[in-house]
Amino acid sequence: MTKYSDLEYLKLSKIHKILYKIACFFIGIPAWFVNLGKTIGKKFKNFGIKVKDNFVDIYKTFKEGDYKTRVSFVIMGFGSFARKQYLRGAIFLLFEIIFIVYMSLWGGYWISMLPSLGKQGPETNVYDPVYDAYVTIYHDDSFKILLYGILSLFFIVAFIYTWRINVKQNRISQEILATGKPLKSSKDDLHSLIDDQFHKTLLALPMTGIMVFTVMPIVFMILVAFTNYDGSHDGYFNNLFTWVGLDNFNKLLNISSGSGAMAATFGEVLAWTLIWAFFATFTNYFLGMFVAMMINKKGIRFKKVWRTALIMTIAIPQFISLLYVSKMFSNEGIINGLLVDLGWISKPLPFWTDPTWARAMVIIINIWIGIPYLMLIATGILMNIPQDLYESARIDGANAFQQYTKITLPYMLFVTGPYLLTSFISNMNNFNVIYLLNAGGPTNTSGTTAGGTVGHTDLLITWLFKITTGAEAQYNMAAVIAIMVFAVVSVISLIVYGLLPSTRNEEDFQ
Amino acid sequence: MTKKSKIFAGILAAAMTMGVGFAAGCGGSDNPGGGGGGGGDKPLAGTYDAKIWVAEAAVELTQQQIAKYNQTNTDGITINANVVAEGEGEAATDMIADVETGADLYCFAQDQFARLKQAEALSKLGAGAAQTVRDTNDQYAVSAASIGNDVYAYPLTADNGYFMYYDKSVVSESSVTSLERIIADCEAAGKQFSFFLEGSAWYAASFFFATGCNSEWVVGEDGKFTNVNDTFNSPEGLIAAKGMYKLLNSTCYNNSEKAASFEAAIKSAVVISGTWDYTTAYGILGDNLGVAELPSFEVDGKSYHLGSYRGYKLLGVKPQTDAKKSSVMHKLAQYLTSEAAQIERFETLSWGPANTNAQNSDAVKANPGLAALSAQAPYGKLQGQIHGSWWDIGKAIATDIKNSGGTDEGLQSALTTYKNAIDGIFSMSEEEKNAYTVIGSINGDGWTVDLPMTEISTGVWKTTVAYDLKENDEFKVRQGKSWDVSYGDGNSNFKVTTAGTYYIQFTISGDVGTIELIAA
Amino acid sequence: MSENNQVETPEVKKQSLKKHMGLKTKRAISNTVIHIVLVIMSVIWLIPFVCIVLQSFRVESTWQVGYVVPHQWGFDNYINLAQTDFWHWYLNTFIIAIVSAVLQTVIVLCMSYTLSRFRFKGRKGLMRFMLIIGMFPGMITMIILYKVLKDIGLTHENAVPGLILVYVASSGMGYYVSKGFFDTIPKSLDEAARVDGATRLQILFKIILPLAKPIIIYTVLTAFMAPWADFVFARYVSMNTPAGMNVAVGLYRWLNQDQISYKYTMFCAGGVLVAIPVTILFMLLQKYYVSGVTGGAVKG
Repeated sequence: MTKYSDLEYLKLSKIHKILYKIACFFIGIPAWFVNLGKTIGKKFKNFGIKVKDNFVDIYKTFKEGDYKTRVSFVIMGFGSFARKQYLRGAIFLLFEIIFIVYMSLWGGYWISMLPSLGKQGPETNVYDPVYDAYVTIYHDDSFKILLYGILSLFFIVAFIYTWRINVKQNRISQEILATGKPLKSSKDDLHSLIDDQFHKTLLALPMTGIMVFTVMPIVFMILVAFTNYDGSHDGYFNNLFTWVGLDNFNKLLNISSGSGAMAATFGEVLAWTLIWAFFATFTNYFLGMFVAMMINKKGIRFKKVWRTALIMTIAIPQFISLLYVSKMFSNEGIINGLLVDLGWISKPLPFWTDPTWARAMVIIINIWIGIPYLMLIATGILMNIPQDLYESARIDGANAFQQYTKITLPYMLFVTGPYLLTSFISNMNNFNVIYLLNAGGPTNTSGTTAGGTVGHTDLLITWLFKITTGAEAQYNMAAVIAIMVFAVVSVISLIVYGLLPSTRNEEDFQ
Repeated sequence: MTKKSKIFAGILAAAMTMGVGFAAGCGGSDNPGGGGGGGGDKPLAGTYDAKIWVAEAAVELTQQQIAKYNQTNTDGITINANVVAEGEGEAATDMIADVETGADLYCFAQDQFARLKQAEALSKLGAGAAQTVRDTNDQYAVSAASIGNDVYAYPLTADNGYFMYYDKSVVSESSVTSLERIIADCEAAGKQFSFFLEGSAWYAASFFFATGCNSEWVVGEDGKFTNVNDTFNSPEGLIAAKGMYKLLNSTCYNNSEKAASFEAAIKSAVVISGTWDYTTAYGILGDNLGVAELPSFEVDGKSYHLGSYRGYKLLGVKPQTDAKKSSVMHKLAQYLTSEAAQIERFETLSWGPANTNAQNSDAVKANPGLAALSAQAPYGKLQGQIHGSWWDIGKAIATDIKNSGGTDEGLQSALTTYKNAIDGIFSMSEEEKNAYTVIGSINGDGWTVDLPMTEISTGVWKTTVAYDLKENDEFKVRQGKSWDVSYGDGNSNFKVTTAGTYYIQFTISGDVGTIELIAA
Repeated sequence: MSENNQVETPEVKKQSLKKHMGLKTKRAISNTVIHIVLVIMSVIWLIPFVCIVLQSFRVESTWQVGYVVPHQWGFDNYINLAQTDFWHWYLNTFIIAIVSAVLQTVIVLCMSYTLSRFRFKGRKGLMRFMLIIGMFPGMITMIILYKVLKDIGLTHENAVPGLILVYVASSGMGYYVSKGFFDTIPKSLDEAARVDGATRLQILFKIILPLAKPIIIYTVLTAFMAPWADFVFARYVSMNTPAGMNVAVGLYRWLNQDQISYKYTMFCAGGVLVAIPVTILFMLLQKYYVSGVTGGAVKG
């Protein structure tokens, strides 16, 4: 493809301009990946340099430090105490004590067990002749070993980081004192927490929550993908689980291995997930916008009534409304009953039992769910479009359709570009609509494996749920699929973020 | 610069120490709740906490029965029971999710037995309790609750099967025995025929049992499944598939197992379901409700009576860490499944007893639902131990048959898909699939165990040990433990002519395999 | 339109008049059509709710039926709810909703205000990190969260604080929409205040929060609504202990095979009662929800 200069580009006809833009987008992809590779390479290099710098700095600090600084290398906070910064000193010291106590009492054990994930499984059905009864004696718990092992590792990282800060503090304090200036008092420290260090105060609590209840579980689950954790290896009650390397990934991706259907099934489910996400996102987007325009049109009355009627779907929990809607469309349900009574059909329509019907139905019903949201969003944005744009367009003789394609649509697309991406991703993970409407059905017979059934409307996320609740409770495979979902989603978003011309510039809206 | 990280790290540390502290504290739970601790002749005396899961309908009755047990037992046991409603299907899922906090006693349907055993959520019965179970139940009930000679649960009901509810005003008395005539009646009246074929393997098996097909699972001593003899993929299976296709593609077919379908927008005239739906069905149809055994279907002029599963509901005891509590829980379970308790349950809830004596009482025999079940019984197949995944795989077979187009090839491919999925359960590594093994009437195994061979040089396989072979012993060498590729003496088995101790050596070149005996 | 000097014949005049009339009638017609479309849409959107409400007043049977209008009306189903654990579940959910709405709002505001207003080292990296973490399907981590909660004793009958803890702790991830909102508040306001010697804390309370009313209400509203609909994770945490269930888990259980025949109409009644507070709140605060969700879409 030839690249056009700006001037040549402007001369192109409209349709050519669009084609050219699309072509540029796709041609840009490889270069973009190359760039990504380069960036990552650079990051690694920078990281290496940073690590080296740190070590050099620590060495210097020790060499040039006074005794206060040097003792602080072993007893954290000593330097701060000696320099009368009691608050800082106390925090450092306390942290070190907690760390040492924790590590010697528990952490050491958990970490030492990490490589094996447990040595002794439970002894089941041990006979007790006195009571003529069997008992079970439980031993190691692989799950807890993995969980607390990870937490202990997190803790070590946190300790090293804090120790590093402790060292740096000493160096800085020493330098400040050398210039003859006073150090910050504890009171100053506290004050800075609500002023120039205010962001740390604000972030402390939310970030702790995220680390413990979001990041740690994700790290855990990623590790589970490399174990044989499933219903018959639950780590405590029946068998221990252990590391199995890449076996699970092989099982998912390798067509020729044992339950080979998994690779093909994964492909099918992924394809449908993407199709679904595409339709679910764009049908809602355009129809929602359309509805908003209808309601906001001049001369339309009872605007509030229409809006209220629509947003009832947001206010009522989906497990109530969707279950009812699902029932309405069942073989024997009200809709089929009505159609038969009217004589339009002789046999109930297979809304949920035919794959094509079922797929169409989930998309259609998702419109029912989604339009109200989009209607609200579009209403807000449409009101922001300067009215004089329309005014001048009208003077130029543009009809309603032209006004839409020339003004409304470009404006909407420009403003909501990032929203479209996030809604695409959240649709990929739209558990409720699929699960409540038809539980992923109808069954996809060729995709059924020992891990459980899979249906024609199953998304990766519902499939994953079925695998964990299936007969074999294959948590390990579910974890592998979760990693795959993550990979797919991040590739899509990286590409879109990287190529969207107007990826938000934060300061734009100031 | 540093405050945030300090606070953050501190909280993390606190959270972790807390977590670990609790973890340590949680180690030895399930201690019996205090009590006098067993004086002399009443070693079990004391108060025990027990969490019990039963079906919603049975909660009240179970509470009363436990109250009675507390008054009448002679061991000085007081049960402090917490009875919670839990669907029988969900009980297994919840037990497996967390055995520790699961119920001490819980009801479950027989098809969950394998899963629960695999998850070690069932405690083995002591010798005395096991003997009682054997004495008071028929052999089928006992086998439903056992693996090998070990009993793992208490039979609770014997009514876990299905039969036909129908609307007498639509299905005429003369049609009841024939699937084709029932379909015709339903179509004529614009009513539906509800049979949950596309939703459950439990129902779909009905057609296959009718033509004599089987799906029997072999369980090893450790409770793991080792093999399956499944004949759904056979000429008889094809006949069954044809029969099923007829129903699935009739205009009256509806995929439901709920008696409420009698009152749906498009009403059903037939619902295949079990005793649990009797009240609802009677509530809707009143005197028009008919109850009957399943009908027969016709293929190529021959008639086949629909089969069904005959299953049990069981009461399981969670494994305990304390022998005393284990003993007490088993005693309570025994009480709750005793003849008297089962009769009570029949009288209040119409649950069909598993206990042989209770089954023979006149009242039980007169119950219409149970009567239909026992009329269906001769065609019923006892539901042995079934691999959990089969329920998922079997679920799909009806859908496949429905979409097959009805041709022999179409139906056959549905059966093949099914068979492949079943084989996938016992999936083997590439290595295992390519390996050759010896199987036959040797080594006292009677064609059940594959003896391993190793490849000593390219194309030459030899058994790892020498076997004592008798004269006229027969065997074959096969690949991947399947009969798709097997070698003997031509097409027949290899016969041992002279008794002795031999290594078996097998040489394969191209398609030709030769077997030699090498004296040890 | 006409470029040449055409004489205005009566013919032309008539035409232009027609055109004028045409425009007006055209608009009238299109408005009528739109009104009709809106009426039809409203009916479609409301049908399921009307049906659920009608079912909840049905007295003659308790299972699912194929007709909509009850043969016999009454409040039986609502009265019978008192004999179940329903009101206990309702109270549980209400507590969860209120507490987590308050705490989540605090957390989300901390997060979004900080990321919008402060420029500190590692800010971009932090945001990117959260973006990446957010792409991992969270559903799979339920089993771990359950075990962690179990270890600190917040499952089963103590599921209520457990659920609050998880909802609140992970709510920081949802800072996006409200950060978008804060981005639209001019920074010059902060700067002016800082020149006057106000601390960051004072700026937050005296200047930003009063302006952030819509986004606060939006956050409260979404946080309040979510617990009413959580039937997957909440089920896990309560693990079949009625005392620890929220209303969604409790009601969802009634749809089990062994209960649906007896409980279906009660399920509908319960559903209506769940919908009431959420709907009322939503109707009252709709305006803020719109500005919140719009701001989020524009910037998020």
